[in-house]
Amino acid sequence: MALPIFVVAVSAPVHAERIDAKKTTITVSAAASLVNVYTEIGKQFEKANPSIKVRFNFASSSSLVSQIQSGAPTDVFAAADLTSFDKLLTSGNVVKTPKVFARNSMQLVVKPGNPLGIASIADLNKASVVSLCAKTAPCGAYAATVLSRYGVVISESKITRGVDATATLNAVSTGDADAGIVYATDALSAKKSVATISIPAGKNVKAMYGIGVVRGSKNSKQAEAFISFVLSPAGQKVLNTLGFLEP
Amino acid sequence: MNKVGSRTPRFVRIGALLGVVFLALPIIGLFNRVAWSTLWTQLTDVATRDALRISLYASVCATVLALVLGLPLAWCLARLHFAGRRFVRALVLLPMVLPPVVGGVALLGAYGKSNGLLGGVLDTFFGVQLTYSLWGVIIAETFVALPFLVLSLEGGLRSIDTKFEEAAAVMGATDFTRFMRVTLPLLKPSLMAGLMLAWARALGEFGATITFAGNIQGRTQTAPLAVYTMLESNPEGAYALSFLLVAISVAVLVGLRDRWIGGAAQ
Repeated sequence: MALPIFVVAVSAPVHAERIDAKKTTITVSAAASLVNVYTEIGKQFEKANPSIKVRFNFASSSSLVSQIQSGAPTDVFAAADLTSFDKLLTSGNVVKTPKVFARNSMQLVVKPGNPLGIASIADLNKASVVSLCAKTAPCGAYAATVLSRYGVVISESKITRGVDATATLNAVSTGDADAGIVYATDALSAKKSVATISIPAGKNVKAMYGIGVVRGSKNSKQAEAFISFVLSPAGQKVLNTLGFLEP
Repeated sequence: MNKVGSRTPRFVRIGALLGVVFLALPIIGLFNRVAWSTLWTQLTDVATRDALRISLYASVCATVLALVLGLPLAWCLARLHFAGRRFVRALVLLPMVLPPVVGGVALLGAYGKSNGLLGGVLDTFFGVQLTYSLWGVIIAETFVALPFLVLSLEGGLRSIDTKFEEAAAVMGATDFTRFMRVTLPLLKPSLMAGLMLAWARALGEFGATITFAGNIQGRTQTAPLAVYTMLESNPEGAYALSFLLVAISVAVLVGLRDRWIGGAAQ
């Protein structure tokens, strides 16, 4: 008896990137919370620099650190915290200290209409499932700081861990998690799919976003150009529009 | 085997060898990263034990559920000519080709408490919430594993000569006896193959599970989710658990093969 074997013939047209001698492609590994803002900045940057093509790799900053440390070809790294850069400085994968290009904070999100009547972080134990980022991801560390400032302890058996900021928000916006602690910018982009409860500045965190060139980049000139663009008024305007604060 | 016409050309042998190397190298690479001295400590860690327990329990339940739903489905696909059969077969195949994450999103659309077609009803009238529960894990795993079982069984049922069953019927066997005494023994090889494939698929499930059932340690965090979650926080634990998953899979596959598949294939 042979195992049934199913052969699926796929005639996928190979999307070979057109090799354009004049175009340089740079790879930007960026924190998941930067998806919207960097996609927009990338478009504007390519328009302003027709000879450079930007390819993005979005994941949690901690995953990106592991990727870079294991040799993933990356030109620019943008993280949701500065600790990620410390790790890369220690391992020698970046040489210069990062430039801080934006600031973010955390907010509490609940189901639209707030059915459980959660007024603040202090009420989080009313929720049966709370969505938080993986402990190693910056958003997970920020959430832990906020919780400790409130003195709130949530049992691990009620916490679903998102692999990155986006997944953590999705658990509340499309999934069935009752509440989550996410970036203010992500809460903003979720629009009506969640209700947002702000965390006062005194108990909130200042999430600093850093950017830098990765050592071994073959396109460091173009990488620097991208970083300059992020820091330029044009880049900062996009960041502000999508809710990021000035560093 | 040794007939001149059926000799295996050299390029085929080289190709096969490359295939073996391609498959074996990552496994060797994985073993190479396992910290053997702390293996036991890592494997007896609470998070690891929880994940293993959930994985084994959920994957077995999912396989049973897939059998309960899959056998009648395969039967009808193999032996009945009904309108929409091609549609049903395409539907059965869909979870196989669908990215598992999309499967998870689709399951949320059906059984999610807040946005699902059926989830709200289940919650309001029965107080049942599938998301973020062990049942959610089982449902997600069944969804992706079912096609493997159905296709294997359908192939098996097609290859059975119906004259044996007809003979049994002529001799007065009831439907049930006929199924148990005639059809099932003939179907056994493809049933076992199908169960194995379905179980393996369920055990390895990641995307649909994390999307639909979440990633709650001790509740819905299966071994693959634990490996992924631990990869950064505790790589040694992640490699230890990966090693154990490989060992369990190999043990089960070898065990089943010798007992059922291998025997029948001779």
